[in-house]
Amino acid sequence: MSEQNDTLDETPVDPSGLGPEVKQSVLGKYDIAQKAGGLVAPLLTALLAFAVGGLVVLVTTGKNPLATYRAIFEGAGFNWFFPWVRGAERASAALNMQQTLIIATTLVLTGLAVGFAFRCGLFNIGGQGQYIMGAVFAVWIGSSMENLNPFLHVTLAIVAGATCGALWAGIAGLLKATVGAHEVISTIMLNWIAIWVGVFLFGLGGPLQNGRQEFVPISNDVFPGAKLPVFWGSSVFQGLHIGFFMAMGALLVYWLILNRTTLGYGVKAVGFNPEAARYGGINVSRNYFVAMAISGAFAGLAGAIDILGWQHRLATGDITGATIAFVGIAVALLGRNTAVGIALASMLFAGLLVGTSTRNLDPEVFKPQLASNLTLLIQGLVVLFVGADLIVLWLIAKMRRSKRA
Amino acid sequence: MTSVALPSAARAHNGLRRVAWVGIGLGLVGAWVALPPISARSWVWSLVLCLIALVLGIGVVIRGERRFGGFAIASGLLGFGLAFMATLSGVGKLETVVVWSALLASMLRYATPLIFAAMGGMFSERSGVTNIGLEGMLLIGCFFGFLGADKFGTWYFGLLLAAVAGGLMALLHAVLSIHLRADQIIGGTAINFLALGLTGYLYIDLYGDQGTPTDISSIPDVNVGFLDDINIFGTHITFLGKVFGHMNLMIWFALILIVLAWVVLFKTPLGLRIRAVGEHPRAADTVGISVYRIRYGAVVLSGVLAALGGAYLSIGFVDSFNENMSAGRGFIALAAVIFGNWRPFGAAAACLLFGFSSALAARLPEYSESAAVLFQALPYVLTLIAVAGVIGRSIPPAAVGRPYKKS
Amino acid sequence: MAESPRTVLEMRHITKRFPGIVANDDVTFDLRQGEIHALLGENGAGKSTLMNILYGLYHPDEGEILIGGTSVQLGSPRAAIDAGVGMVHQHFMLIPVMTVAENIVLATEPTHAGVMLDLGAANESVREISERFGLAVDPAARIEDITVGQQQRVEILKALYRNADILILDEPTAVLTPQEAGELFGIIEGLTAQGKSIIFISHKLNEVTEVADRITVLRRGKLIETIPAAGATQESLARLMVGRDVLLRVEKRPANPTDRLLEVKDLHVFDDRGIEKVRGLSLDVRAGEIVGVAGIDGNGQTELIDAMTGLRRAASGSVAVAGEDVTTDSAHGHFVAGLGHIPQDRQRRGLVLEFSIAENIALHDYRQAPDSRLGWLFPGRLVERGARLIEEYDVRGGGPDTRAGGLSGGNQQKVVLAREIDRDPRVLIAAQPTRGLDVGAIEFVHRRLVEERDEGRGVLLISLELEEILSLSDRILVMYEGEIVGEFPPSVSEEELGLAMTGGGRGEVAAA
Repeated sequence: MSEQNDTLDETPVDPSGLGPEVKQSVLGKYDIAQKAGGLVAPLLTALLAFAVGGLVVLVTTGKNPLATYRAIFEGAGFNWFFPWVRGAERASAALNMQQTLIIATTLVLTGLAVGFAFRCGLFNIGGQGQYIMGAVFAVWIGSSMENLNPFLHVTLAIVAGATCGALWAGIAGLLKATVGAHEVISTIMLNWIAIWVGVFLFGLGGPLQNGRQEFVPISNDVFPGAKLPVFWGSSVFQGLHIGFFMAMGALLVYWLILNRTTLGYGVKAVGFNPEAARYGGINVSRNYFVAMAISGAFAGLAGAIDILGWQHRLATGDITGATIAFVGIAVALLGRNTAVGIALASMLFAGLLVGTSTRNLDPEVFKPQLASNLTLLIQGLVVLFVGADLIVLWLIAKMRRSKRA
Repeated sequence: MTSVALPSAARAHNGLRRVAWVGIGLGLVGAWVALPPISARSWVWSLVLCLIALVLGIGVVIRGERRFGGFAIASGLLGFGLAFMATLSGVGKLETVVVWSALLASMLRYATPLIFAAMGGMFSERSGVTNIGLEGMLLIGCFFGFLGADKFGTWYFGLLLAAVAGGLMALLHAVLSIHLRADQIIGGTAINFLALGLTGYLYIDLYGDQGTPTDISSIPDVNVGFLDDINIFGTHITFLGKVFGHMNLMIWFALILIVLAWVVLFKTPLGLRIRAVGEHPRAADTVGISVYRIRYGAVVLSGVLAALGGAYLSIGFVDSFNENMSAGRGFIALAAVIFGNWRPFGAAAACLLFGFSSALAARLPEYSESAAVLFQALPYVLTLIAVAGVIGRSIPPAAVGRPYKKS
Repeated sequence: MAESPRTVLEMRHITKRFPGIVANDDVTFDLRQGEIHALLGENGAGKSTLMNILYGLYHPDEGEILIGGTSVQLGSPRAAIDAGVGMVHQHFMLIPVMTVAENIVLATEPTHAGVMLDLGAANESVREISERFGLAVDPAARIEDITVGQQQRVEILKALYRNADILILDEPTAVLTPQEAGELFGIIEGLTAQGKSIIFISHKLNEVTEVADRITVLRRGKLIETIPAAGATQESLARLMVGRDVLLRVEKRPANPTDRLLEVKDLHVFDDRGIEKVRGLSLDVRAGEIVGVAGIDGNGQTELIDAMTGLRRAASGSVAVAGEDVTTDSAHGHFVAGLGHIPQDRQRRGLVLEFSIAENIALHDYRQAPDSRLGWLFPGRLVERGARLIEEYDVRGGGPDTRAGGLSGGNQQKVVLAREIDRDPRVLIAAQPTRGLDVGAIEFVHRRLVEERDEGRGVLLISLELEEILSLSDRILVMYEGEIVGEFPPSVSEEELGLAMTGGGRGEVAAA
């Protein structure tokens, strides 16, 4: 008999008798799905999500979903890429595109945060808390030490933000590494703790609350020297700041760590098969901690860049409403945890977020508040269809078969 | 016959647990003497009591019963901490904050949504399906409970609609994790996002920017009249009446649910089968139990229960709905299941603990407005400590989180 | 058998296809009342597939099944159970945290008033059938607290409780000691005397000839022949089974042991549950010899391997590789000191299935030059080495960039061997190196181990397969309850080894 068959009667070693198919790790399934579907699978996933989202629009409001999506598309400034768009339309498209890229910067980083942990087999749902911690420390440093050299000031604030994100995520990593606490629950709890700590710091009577406006729950403003320079558009009306390049740099770093360093090898080995990694002499616990810390650093960086790049202050409302890090989960899952995928997926979601904002969506076409919840819905659907990869793979297989026929 | 078959190790552990319970009790008493009505002004008594609790706990841990020993140690440490802080505070303030009847009544109110969700989560996990989506199902219950009570004009339609919506959401999770064998964590996350998006979308669509109306039919309280006039030796005891006399109907249901969950899980054939499926699905399959059917049932039940807890939150507790009002309660419930070692009474005890910390946090602004904000984080910190398993490790059902494939 | 008893089961022209393979190809099989019918074949011959079809777990693509002369559709285990078929799976279908009685009555529980579980009645009926069939068990004991042999009895009782007339035993002796196996044979002969019919799946020639009335041989999914056991010899059966004469013994020169390379002294190791599994064990392995460690599963082998390879911390005692004490070193430290380790479970531990062959080969060395420098990895160098070893070890089914998970079991094991041996270790610990492999791959692994011995390495072979131990080892150690209880030359008989493996000759331990 050919050697192909010797797994047939080979009984599963797993004492639970669940059979060899479940020994396949989630990441492994993911890996295979990626190779099987290539670019098609994520595209199909997004398409499915948008189709279902459109259906919701149609059923609940009776409006034409295509018109809504078109308005969102233009609200996000994607028409800027069309060379035939000229004049005033082009100027407004450029403004919108700047907004979209600002948000994409954040999403790239929060997406990388989820993606990096995922490569180590960890699900970091705590991007929100890590983002808040990064933002809190960036605003604190940015709004103190007025006369510091701008370069130093920015560097210090950004490093502090990233470090705090790393430490915050590191708590969950440490708990996972030492006592095996599930990172999903611990990171969610850390989110809520971060929220309440933030509300305490900047709330009325809080230690870091604005010195001049006693009855506004907001931080002090970041000093001009600590603000990130704007390189596209107006520095007064939220043009695109250089944090965009930092995010691009982070993408490169992410790819290099995973594919060109021993650290990445260890992280991936642990993510795919912790038992084999241990056998290979890799310290599994340490990798859990390191992967969470690096993941948190990305999220903390996102918070710091948002503060220094365009928000310049932090209100308690910003803290309780900071859902941008959750979008990072959808970004990473849709982008299949690859650098390029995360870059593309973050553009998609940034476009959705900006295109549905009160400022950019024409209320005549669709109510912006409704549309931003539509974004949440589409985000949920994307995660759903990524999770239910069997559906997507089945569709692909079906398409291939019909093509052959 | 069972006493003969009981291994000696198990009997020794029962003895150790009794000692640990004494330790837990002493720690609580240690905290209690510093609080009203006694309000001992010196912390020495508390120190003595809590030290004994600590010693008992350590002794029990050393002899191998780590879980309950850990509880005793925690009780001793926390008890003394609480007592020490209480002695630093003025008696007047202490008496306005620590009103036992109000604290306990409030604890039950906060704990009820958690208990519903935790009992649901326990069934789901016992059958082998991790249910991170509990949070979303609870939120769905909040919204649809409100919607039903508002549009149909009666609270029981609210409960019904919440149960149906929560059940459908859970069905989606069941299809994902059972038939599609999706990663259950990702599936649950999708459920949470969907619930957030769906309730937010419908909330804006139906209630616009006005917020929810205030004149809805809410779940009634149950007045147990005789608890109000208990007289012992001529003294009028109001305590029981204040805590249990006017509880919401859903709180009573929650208390009944705990007992019911225990009976079903450990005293019926169905419970045996659910546990078998969660421990070793193939073994259950080979004797003819439908693993899929049991899991579908358990997951859908978890959604229904979580949604009922959510409905209590919106139309029994706060009488309104706002976006993301579940605020992590689903996750806390899940932590309670882990903390309670996948057992109904254990999980319920954990829910009460979390409820108590919420109740306490709600009364602390009396001391300092801004510092009280920090105490809002208390339930989450407790949950973090709980899942960290600092206090003894729990053992989950063997097959939880693993998809089962029929051959 | 003279009066030709009635046929209770017929499986006619059964065909079952899986993607890329025909697992059962037109197989016809029958079973008579009161007989023991052995189903013999190699791993992968299709025995378990055929029986899973009979138990309703798989559905045949073609063919029909008759029980008691009428055609039946066995769509699920439930249907099979109702038709009187019971199966004792090789890996027991028992829930460790539940009691014996709970496991036996599961899905057909006695109740009070149809609602509440009646465990008293469950215990009672379990006690009743266990007495009727002479299978002593304690109904109230938890499965995780009883021995493997007792667990097997529970499995048999489970089938009997459901009134099974046809009992399938899937490789029932794989986990038993020779003595327990003997008891099992007694039990099933008793069952046939009470009218039950038994299908006995095995790949062990000696026990098939010992216990069966008739023998059906399967090879590559096809029925080869059904013959009466009387008159069949092990050699003739072996030829039927593999289609050619097998080398039952590996050819090798006498050993020429020199320096001591692995020294284990007074080792004590605890398992995850805090139970002492290795109790003061000492052994050593010299250069140029293969030392075999025989023993029943669960006598501390796993913990011993883990402690010797740095995957588990020993409570006390010492491990030295080539004179260097590595007791408290990490797994990596052991490898650096000159240890090679072929793990028992290549899919769970030996390989990262999602990694490429080249990446898997770098598992121990990726942190060092030339694979990497200062944390910077050079993937090109990994691929180069991968390509060289694929050539050298004749790994088929892909190049250095192929996912290891896409390879067949035999080729996966070759990747593990390549990685461990190419590092030029002084000592090689091979744990169950041929588990689940087919004959060709087994021969390759055995030949390679002997070659490594001849190169001057020390080889420690830990296996549950007595035949493997007997044919490869230069010295045989027997492990029982965490200790080495005897040392034998390779000429020892299976019976002698079997006795030692059960603690025979050490009365006080066996009694405890």
